[in-house]
Amino acid sequence: MDVMSRLTEVFQEVFEDDDLVLSETTSAADIPEWDSIMHVSLLLAVEGEFDVTFNTSEVSGMKNVGDLKTMLTERGAS
Amino acid sequence: MSLTEELFAYLESTHPRSLGGVREAREVAPERFDAMCELFLDWGAAASGDNFIPGAVDAFVDFSNDVLMEQARYERRGTYKRSTFAECEAEVYGKRDVMDHYLWGAYLTNFLWAHHVDIAIFFEDRFLRRVAKDAKIVEIAPGHGQFGIWALTQRPGTTLRGFDISPSSMVIANKMAAAAGVADRAVYERRDAMDLDQMEPDCADVVICSFLVEHLEQPHKLYETIGRLLKPGGVAFTTGALTAAHADHIFEFKRESELLHLAEDHGLRVLESLSIGPSRTLPRAKQLPRSMAMLLQRRKHDHW
Repeated sequence: MDVMSRLTEVFQEVFEDDDLVLSETTSAADIPEWDSIMHVSLLLAVEGEFDVTFNTSEVSGMKNVGDLKTMLTERGAS
Repeated sequence: MSLTEELFAYLESTHPRSLGGVREAREVAPERFDAMCELFLDWGAAASGDNFIPGAVDAFVDFSNDVLMEQARYERRGTYKRSTFAECEAEVYGKRDVMDHYLWGAYLTNFLWAHHVDIAIFFEDRFLRRVAKDAKIVEIAPGHGQFGIWALTQRPGTTLRGFDISPSSMVIANKMAAAAGVADRAVYERRDAMDLDQMEPDCADVVICSFLVEHLEQPHKLYETIGRLLKPGGVAFTTGALTAAHADHIFEFKRESELLHLAEDHGLRVLESLSIGPSRTLPRAKQLPRSMAMLLQRRKHDHW
């Protein structure tokens, strides 16, 4: 499974929405529940799925799914 | 555009995920929130110079995210990340760039986190009215200096001595005092809060100490110091964090009674207290992170 597919599964689980479809431009503007608390829940779930750790500036600076995917591929996720 | 409007516009454009929480803070008490926002942002802008809003809001968002991430890891781990002051000194307090960012972030949490709006209102309504117009105030670990400076602006005859271990605090608190027009009544000295034993006993009418106790290995020493510095009948405003993780929180308070006992065990009477947490927590959280404020009075009698 590629990074986007794995991310989609994580998003669907965190936001409890099996119909959620992601693109690289998907952001908080597209998912109303995606506030600061859910953002942290999401990134912790991503950390668990990909066995990575994010620092504060990455947590704050991530604007959309594309940014998240880039951070993961830079860490060797595929 | 006012500084408050600028703050909301910047949040909306740059940190939209954090906007809801700040709106929630405004809903606690809209008129009080607006007044505090303008006052504190005005001081910050005057102290910090150009580009204050973007820098301070970025710091606030980083601070808030860091708190949430640490809280989530604390939920998993069952303990705070660090347990010694030396670790925090090496990673946070001693690093000027880290600490500057930290202090501006912490400053904004005092009026942009909903439950901290309640703490600020408690300070203004319940504590400040007990501060005599010519009181000698000691502030322990003022950080950015907000609470002490607020007291100075509301009581024009008061003077303040502040002690903080952080070099960043010395710079920021002095600039903030100047920005608020009270620099001639505030003196800050770089000194460890655990090293105030040499100070003259009964030298303060008022002590302010906000969110220090959870950063200490031996919190009882702080309340011992407060009890010693306050004159009999003098009042103190203290705050502390309970089951609330952060990178530099090392003493885990679980119950409000632990803070109450710390005060009572060191000659202080608890006049009033307020314990409050955020309205929303991380999904499936077992802990409710709380902030607790206490209004204390040095006992005049052997038994209360």
